[in-house]
Amino acid sequence: MADQIERSIGAGVQVIEDAETMEEALRRAHLEEQAGERRRMLVNFGPQHPSTHGVLRVLLTLEGETVIDAQPDIGYLHRNWEKIVEGWTYAMVVPFSDRNDYLAAICNEQAVVGAVERLMGIEVPERGQFLRVLVFELQRLTSHLIWFGTFAMDMGATTAFLHAFRERERCYSLFEEITGARLLYNYLRIGGLRNDVPDSWLKKLEQFLDDFEKEAYPSYWDLVINNEIFRVRTKGIGVITPEQAIAYGASGPVLRGSGIRWDLRKVDPFLPYDQFEFDIPVGTNGDAYDRAIVRMKEMMESVKIIRQVMKRLPDGPVMAKLPRALRPPKGQVYNRVESPRGEVGVYLISDGGTGPYRIKWRSPCFTHLMLLPVMARGHLVADLVTCIGSIDIVLGEVDR
Amino acid sequence: MGVLNDVARAAKSIVKGHMVTLREIFKPPMTIRYPDEKPEQPKGSRGMPVLKVNAETGELNCTACGLCARSCPPGCIEVIEETDANGKRMRRPLAYNLDMGKCMVCNLCIEACPFDALEMAANFEISVYDPENLVFNKDQLATIWKNYDAVRIAGGEKL
Repeated sequence: MADQIERSIGAGVQVIEDAETMEEALRRAHLEEQAGERRRMLVNFGPQHPSTHGVLRVLLTLEGETVIDAQPDIGYLHRNWEKIVEGWTYAMVVPFSDRNDYLAAICNEQAVVGAVERLMGIEVPERGQFLRVLVFELQRLTSHLIWFGTFAMDMGATTAFLHAFRERERCYSLFEEITGARLLYNYLRIGGLRNDVPDSWLKKLEQFLDDFEKEAYPSYWDLVINNEIFRVRTKGIGVITPEQAIAYGASGPVLRGSGIRWDLRKVDPFLPYDQFEFDIPVGTNGDAYDRAIVRMKEMMESVKIIRQVMKRLPDGPVMAKLPRALRPPKGQVYNRVESPRGEVGVYLISDGGTGPYRIKWRSPCFTHLMLLPVMARGHLVADLVTCIGSIDIVLGEVDR
Repeated sequence: MGVLNDVARAAKSIVKGHMVTLREIFKPPMTIRYPDEKPEQPKGSRGMPVLKVNAETGELNCTACGLCARSCPPGCIEVIEETDANGKRMRRPLAYNLDMGKCMVCNLCIEACPFDALEMAANFEISVYDPENLVFNKDQLATIWKNYDAVRIAGGEKL
């Protein structure tokens, strides 16, 4: 992308007319049908539809096959996360936070753990911080691999799904060796990491990165991204203008796909990201194709960061010395991290006890799902699937 | 001519995609035939918490202090301490029930235990027909610890 446009943030934010609530949409569709004005149809898309990436119900108003309105209905995976953790200690919150965005568990852990550390003023040892960056970026790689596989499958390319999952399985095996689990790790601790990684593991990781860079990654471009069918299916579909992206509070690849260079790793480095060199890929048009390209390029940036971490990994402990019972002072803190999906934030209020008084979870998936009516309006039903896939939502995090 | 160019480019991209698939045909499969072939689990892989038995005395290491139960986020551990006729605490469990239907295999109980009484077994095949059978008592947990292939038990050093 030679003609990358960098737009200044905050310029030209305009108020976008509110989408109707679901009841209003239902009533309107019913009235219009009764009046016989237009032949409109109200269709449930999901919650059991395989292309909804979980249990998402979209209330579609169709005219023929054109989407007039698409209202997402959420809450099928609601687990009452924020209330349940109120009675727990901080150590117990960490494994449960994995279950929010289950495809990027490390990023959730960092959001919670970082909030407590910020409140207590705990300094994580340098090796611990570097290893956190390493697992963080490996997690981003696995998450983007799943996105790649499922996004391609949404468009009918089943082969790419299996190609992506082959690499993902290797990543998960690497994770299993150091954390003990494949998906929900409970690896990060307040003050550091659960355990150190052996040198043999780093060698395996190096081998994986070499294979990924040489064989797997180019084959993804050949299989899907450079494919003409994929291009036609994604170009110009689900356009989010920069103004809309900012107004709706989008973050991560969705915001960068619209051409805004905003990455918390650069803007507000929560881990020693300022010590590593990497680029932030941005799109130009804000369509599904640009978001796909941004994610594809981010995979390579993650590999770049992991290589730098491995080269400069210092010796020393991975865990800071802590008191036995963690009692942060009274106060509140907002800690945000750049997860593969965008800005994951934890707003933590402490009353001086061993557990949180209140935690608010800021989920990027929820914000991006609210952009679905904006993206889908005027497209065909098949393109709605592209829109859902291109924002890469995890319903576990939308509903929490 | 523009259309012809488009068609040519599209055909080329599809051929390129098929070349990737063609290369894969000659590679060995990545998958294993699961129920017949077991996956290789690394040391430290977490399956379910089990109770350790002291090799010399043949009794459980557990002293029924209840720290594991208190550190468990979903509250799946139930410990009842044994008392003798006078009400004196015997420092061993009368009952130790672990509900694997609730357990989220987070490893916090093992880290909380000061007596080295719990260990994470790599045993992940715990499906049952009746959910009541997911509640393991102390004898079952000790049996799993004893019978389970020593290589695949996540033991030795405390991770």
